[in-house]
Amino acid sequence: MTQETRPSVLKAVNLGVTYGQSEAVAQLDFDIKRGEFVAILGPSGCGKSSMLNVISGLRAPSKGRVLVEDEELFTAQSKPPRLGYVFQSHRLLPWRTVRQNLEIALAASQVPRGTWEARIDEILSILHISQFKDAWPMRLSGGQRQRVSIARALLIDPSYILMDEPLSTLDEVTARSLRQELTGICQRTNATVVFVTHSIREAVYLADRILILTKGPARIFEDYKVPLERPRDYDDARIAEVEADIIRRVQAPWGLAMREESSVA
Amino acid sequence: MTSLQKQVWAYLALLLLIPAWFLAHQNTTFIENPVTVAKALPHFLSDPATWTNIGITLARVVFGLLMGVAAGFVAAFAMTRSRLLGDVLSYYVTAALRTPSAIAAILALAIFKGSEAGYVLVVAFITFPYMAVGLRDGLASADHDLDEMAQVYHLGLLTKIQHVWAPFVAPYIFSALRNAHALAWKVIVVAEIFGAAKTGFGAKFEHAWSYMIMIEVHLWLLVFMAIVLFAEYGLIRTAEKYVFRWR
Ligand SMILES: Nc1ncnc2c1ncn2[C@@H]1O[C@H](COP(=O)(O)OP(=O)(O)OP(=O)(O)O)[C@@H](O)[C@H]1O
Ligand SMILES: [Mg+2]
Repeated sequence: MTQETRPSVLKAVNLGVTYGQSEAVAQLDFDIKRGEFVAILGPSGCGKSSMLNVISGLRAPSKGRVLVEDEELFTAQSKPPRLGYVFQSHRLLPWRTVRQNLEIALAASQVPRGTWEARIDEILSILHISQFKDAWPMRLSGGQRQRVSIARALLIDPSYILMDEPLSTLDEVTARSLRQELTGICQRTNATVVFVTHSIREAVYLADRILILTKGPARIFEDYKVPLERPRDYDDARIAEVEADIIRRVQAPWGLAMREESSVA
Repeated sequence: MTSLQKQVWAYLALLLLIPAWFLAHQNTTFIENPVTVAKALPHFLSDPATWTNIGITLARVVFGLLMGVAAGFVAAFAMTRSRLLGDVLSYYVTAALRTPSAIAAILALAIFKGSEAGYVLVVAFITFPYMAVGLRDGLASADHDLDEMAQVYHLGLLTKIQHVWAPFVAPYIFSALRNAHALAWKVIVVAEIFGAAKTGFGAKFEHAWSYMIMIEVHLWLLVFMAIVLFAEYGLIRTAEKYVFRWR
């Protein structure tokens, strides 16, 4: 398949994270290729955010290595990675307008200044928030703020984009429209995305591949390729089927006994 | 009520002070008739000496405040940097915070013998703990989430100071500044009176009082209140409104 020939963007080798005595991430190995959308699924507290902290360069791993575009992170010579990060909360500067928030991120990036204006206009129009260009973040709805946060992550030409449950605080209707926009924009820009979520259906709808983690400390339980072509429909029965299939698989590793089994026991 | 209506009511309430003043005048010996005071006001205000004295006091307040703010900043940063220094400084700040301004004024003047430095330093000494404590609280509650965002997006140090940290501590700075400003005016007048200053608002007020020139006492008091109110509402609150326009 074409997948194997694509260059590697983000690679983890034998990655582990410990806090003092307690192990949050036991061992992770994965290789994410250019243009891939990879979802991360795992039970609460298994170490997903800890993993993101490491692959975003915010925190050095306790063991193992991270490679971004084949260059090692966390060595003395390594440059910090160029990434976009959509946090669970928007993390915009409330005292800067939407445009200023985007410009501050652009100013710290390598994007040439002459192209900023056009880029900002384009991304805002793709995300349907052009009319809020000069608005204060406090005057926007949760969904609109999260769109700005997505715009900021995409604008700076990142090697890859991390998203930590970015839609979990939004109402379902807003989340749906954002999911749809997200698939469109990621395909169009060929973005490489790591997307942490608790919603299995969301993962199935969005991702090319799902890394299913074990209970904490996290290991990779299964590298699951989503067997659905695009475009996808969130209400498609096949998405529900794949979702049910995954739920079946994770029962044991996530420590959830199935009803029949528990009644027998 | 609309905000305009509220303002009108506030001004009407202020006008009630005039009949109260008049009643006080009729029932006491020292309170002048407000009409007499009003008649004397134009002459008083057109006298250049009035403005020279106000300017001198204003300069003492401004320089003292600037020094106090600068010292407060240094102390606050030191307190957040090192634990030992933080503990030592916080005792010092607590002690300074509770020192009565009259005592600070007398001490400063005893040391500086009523020189100009004494007036400025006493204002600085009284105001700096407010800045230090306010700023320290602001820095202590700094937003870790925005710091992470700044790190992920590689914001430079200057950008971080200007766009992440300064706006975050701004509310603390403003409330500290308002306290410090209010106190600065109180203490400067005390210092000018105690220091037997020849110039400045406190000196003139004291002079008028000791010679029982009651009209002048009233006039100085009125002008003083007008200036303090202008500094508070015209300058500090206006700046605050502008800085916090995103809210
Ligand atoms: N800064 C920290 N210090 C100590 N322990 C931590 C720290 N951050 C996380 N942990 C622990 O590490 C484990 C993994 O936490 P993490 O936040 O990575 O989980 P998660 O998979 O993101 O959970 P959730 O799905 O609830 O967001 C947890 O047991 C947590 O208590
Ligand atoms: Mg998490």
